[in-house]
Amino acid sequence: MRNVLAALALLVLAACGGGGGGGGGGGSGGGPPIPGVAAPTAAEAARLMTQATFGPTPAGIEAVRAAGMNGWVTQQIAVPNSLPLQTYLEARLQGLQATNPSASLNANHFYEAWWRGAATGQDELRQRVAFAYSQIFVISLADSSIDVRGAGSYYDMLLRNAFSNYRTLLEDVTLHPMMGRYLTFLANQKEDAAGTRTPDENYAREVMQLMTIGLSELNADGTVRLNSSNQPIPAYTPADIAGLAKVFTGISWYHPTPTNSTFFGGNRDPNREVRPMIFYPQFHSTSQKVFLDRTIPASVTVDVAGDLRIALDTLYNHPNVGPFIAQRLIQQLVTSNPSPAYVSRVAAVFNNNGSGVRGDMGAVVRAILIDMESRDAGVASAAGFGKLREPVIRLANWARAFSATSQSGNWLINSTSSNQSFGQSALNAPSVFNFWRPGFTPPGTTELGSRGLLAPEFQIVDEVTVAGYVNTMSSTIDQGIGATPPGGSGRDVRSAYAAELALAGDAAALVERINGLLLYGQMSSTLRGQTTDAVNAITIPATGQTAIDAARLNRVKTAILFAMASPEYLTQR
Amino acid sequence: MAMTPATRRELLRISGALSAVAAAGSTFGLQLATLGTAAAQTMPPAYQALVCIFMFGGNDAHNTVLATDANTYGRYLSARNTGNDPIALMPPGAAAQPVGAASTFTPGRTVSRASPENWGGVLPITPLTPNPIPPGTNATTRTFALHPFLASLVPIWTAGRLAVAANVGPLIVPTTKAQYNGRTVPLPANLMSHNDQQSTWQAGAAEGARRGWGGLMADQLLSMNGTNTVFTAVSTAGNAVFLSGRDVVQYQVTTGNNTPAVRITPATNTSLFGSSGNPARLAQVIRGATGGSYFGQDHAARVVRSMDSAVWLNDAFTMADVTAIPAPTTLVNPVTGATETNALATSLQTVAKLIAANAMLGLRRQVFFVSIGGFDTHDIQNSTQPVLLNRLGHAMSYFDGVLANIGGVNMRNAVTTFTASDFSRTFTTNGDGTDHAWGSHQFVMGGAVNGQNVYGQYPTLGVDQTGFTNPDMSGNILIPTMSVDQFGATLGRWFGVSDGALDTIFPNLRNFTLRNIGFV
Repeated sequence: MRNVLAALALLVLAACGGGGGGGGGGGSGGGPPIPGVAAPTAAEAARLMTQATFGPTPAGIEAVRAAGMNGWVTQQIAVPNSLPLQTYLEARLQGLQATNPSASLNANHFYEAWWRGAATGQDELRQRVAFAYSQIFVISLADSSIDVRGAGSYYDMLLRNAFSNYRTLLEDVTLHPMMGRYLTFLANQKEDAAGTRTPDENYAREVMQLMTIGLSELNADGTVRLNSSNQPIPAYTPADIAGLAKVFTGISWYHPTPTNSTFFGGNRDPNREVRPMIFYPQFHSTSQKVFLDRTIPASVTVDVAGDLRIALDTLYNHPNVGPFIAQRLIQQLVTSNPSPAYVSRVAAVFNNNGSGVRGDMGAVVRAILIDMESRDAGVASAAGFGKLREPVIRLANWARAFSATSQSGNWLINSTSSNQSFGQSALNAPSVFNFWRPGFTPPGTTELGSRGLLAPEFQIVDEVTVAGYVNTMSSTIDQGIGATPPGGSGRDVRSAYAAELALAGDAAALVERINGLLLYGQMSSTLRGQTTDAVNAITIPATGQTAIDAARLNRVKTAILFAMASPEYLTQR
Repeated sequence: MAMTPATRRELLRISGALSAVAAAGSTFGLQLATLGTAAAQTMPPAYQALVCIFMFGGNDAHNTVLATDANTYGRYLSARNTGNDPIALMPPGAAAQPVGAASTFTPGRTVSRASPENWGGVLPITPLTPNPIPPGTNATTRTFALHPFLASLVPIWTAGRLAVAANVGPLIVPTTKAQYNGRTVPLPANLMSHNDQQSTWQAGAAEGARRGWGGLMADQLLSMNGTNTVFTAVSTAGNAVFLSGRDVVQYQVTTGNNTPAVRITPATNTSLFGSSGNPARLAQVIRGATGGSYFGQDHAARVVRSMDSAVWLNDAFTMADVTAIPAPTTLVNPVTGATETNALATSLQTVAKLIAANAMLGLRRQVFFVSIGGFDTHDIQNSTQPVLLNRLGHAMSYFDGVLANIGGVNMRNAVTTFTASDFSRTFTTNGDGTDHAWGSHQFVMGGAVNGQNVYGQYPTLGVDQTGFTNPDMSGNILIPTMSVDQFGATLGRWFGVSDGALDTIFPNLRNFTLRNIGFV
């Protein structure tokens, strides 16, 4: 692998001249044009959509081809979210309560709203980026303290901020009551006079470790800085956490007339789960706060907003943030093991979007997608390149590629978290450490692990989940997925496979269509042969329309299952 | 369960012990029915298993195993009987106060199911060997107690099958307070970070570690496991680096099912979308690493392991000795009052079934990993930790009970169960919860355990103040006085791992004088 990485680094250096990233036209940082950016082929367009959306659609591929990759990104950044989850959830609750006044929302209703957006949202890039954020700025419906409508509001906030400034995103995350609940700093009190009781350190620790700077000081290319004894340098100490924890005191539920009681959760305002938290000066620490080489001096007056501004500015301006966020977003969208040069180019754009602005996330997303390392087919062919596709994204790929529809309009896909299902549901990670860790390396007995390669999504791959996936995907391809709606029949979300059925008589053409939609045209000849053989094994009878239709449908299902169960598909490259 | 001829052949091939029994039987169903009992009674006495119960999130050890001498308990109260919802537990012998009463323990609080007053006092446990009294603690004897909702562990303690390892945590070298505060000795990386300390407990290094001491110990004994090494290291809780060895790869099972393995049905049924030939073709696709990707190759390798063991593991679970393992009872959630299923106990039921199935599988050394989550009690600790400890005690007690009769054989001496967690929590409260810390107390349970004792030095408790300097705590965190390496090596020695191998598995073990803590 060392050779592969070295070759890859050489290739990238040669292609880009080692220059910085940027949002320029066909080339990056003044280097030669990046293949396919200006005039993508259908396969290149499908590959971009695989990284940048919940999966290619025939229309999407045409849109990328028409606009070019940069043009498409520009278009997508301008598309607002038109399917807010909170609005859906409020209407859904109203509908439920029309028949049962005591009905309440549960996590499945959140998944409905989420699937509706993932499968049908026109803001395709925004949807995908917000999902990546939801795995960095993690809250989880697995925690019973998370309100379902509040979770919808939180996800809407991530969607709204997909291409905003990172500083805005960080502040909106920090003040959202569901983050306050999840990381337990909502209603966090200042230390007591005796020095016995200390503020809750949960958010202070995790906002640094997981959302901004990480554990160790980083070089600009994301590699860990080492001290003179070749050891990593901690980015912060327990004292920094204790100091920062004092900032996150005196923040709690929204209420128009806040009191000590509302601070601790009494006298609930009906919108407190969706409105930003407010400040309660009487509970905010006024003692000296020292963190990350900043000192907020002790004061007589209380200034929650001022302290918070200093804290978030300090985090935002830390030199780790660019490479830290670059590495994580690249892992989410493109590849588990980006080269340091790639991280460096994206981090440079985070630090300066070209107009002197730090933290422009639209520019960062563009820099990730329009880069030699994410676009070049030669880079992608390396054995260590790419990532394992996330389970729910596989399902989304199916829904989008084959224009699945919800007969109820409510996308009644309940939890898919069981390890005998997809082993994952959006916003339902086991902890703030997400479904998997960006630093996860498979055991040393594996191809990846023996080479020290990262593979975050492999953290949930085991003998049970690989079976759960094939079984659930097969059943979905066959019968659709989701509960049967009242008055409906069968599973709520299904595809008619209209375009594929038209090709069912021609195995090669059928397989080629699926190759284009699910494998960006890169299916190996081996897999193509295996899939074609399987399709041809189903004979279309000469007569009897019912039998003919059944055979054609079986051919389509077979081709899709063979593609989606294959290790080639499961590896996004 | 219907069995294909291929499965029968595989079963017959797999177990040497089986063939003798099989020859005597007239039908295979009969063989299976008789096999379990016959084989279990002749199960090699050398069978041994280690079971790790990992408490994810960082269990607050200060409210799990308490020192109750007046001096220590007084400092405990001053640290914890404060805040908006104090988390101090009541002293031994204190009577439970009814819900709705005005607390006489924490003035100003109305007693609810989620307040310690309602739970009664902590439960005294008396070590056979008195634990030394550490500096700064003005007591004549050291007395100990368990959380009120660990009542089901007390009889196991009294029967001598439960020990406590005190103040254990990751260390590279013995570390004093001055050395920790001055960072003058090497320290484990990323202390107090969840993911890193989970990894450090399991594998001696922060996130990214690829081999853990459960898997590495199993590597040493793999040759004892015949042809079924795939079941050497089994998890009910997803991928755990603890179980990854140089050769050993963990095997994942489901829990609460009669069939622990999940069959990939489209690739093994008799037909797929109308074709009888396509299941085999699909199997070839999902097992084949086409495309030249390490990701694809590793995924295919997992599919191969899954497919090659599923059918006959599930068949082994139809043996009488396996189905005879009783399900755990339900239990009452002490905070909500609701009746609940204990997922941890259900996981241990599956472990017990795997041990029973071993009559057919023929392994002699196994390592298991089960888990319970939710211990990250930054807030509402009174509503969460009691529920979790109640489940822990119930599950361990259940497991101790079923091990007494696996196919008519008492297997308690062959199975040693221990707890582990990310870290313990701060000695002081943040108002209604606790934050990340370091040294913790853990349980070790089994017939081979030298139980009813506290091992290691139970530490001095209390934050520094005028006239009191605690040698064991820096701020509000305990500095461990027993290393995870010492703890693990003690288990490894019992498991049959050589001294030389222990030095490789635990590279820092040589930095500590005591290589064998002696609890098992």
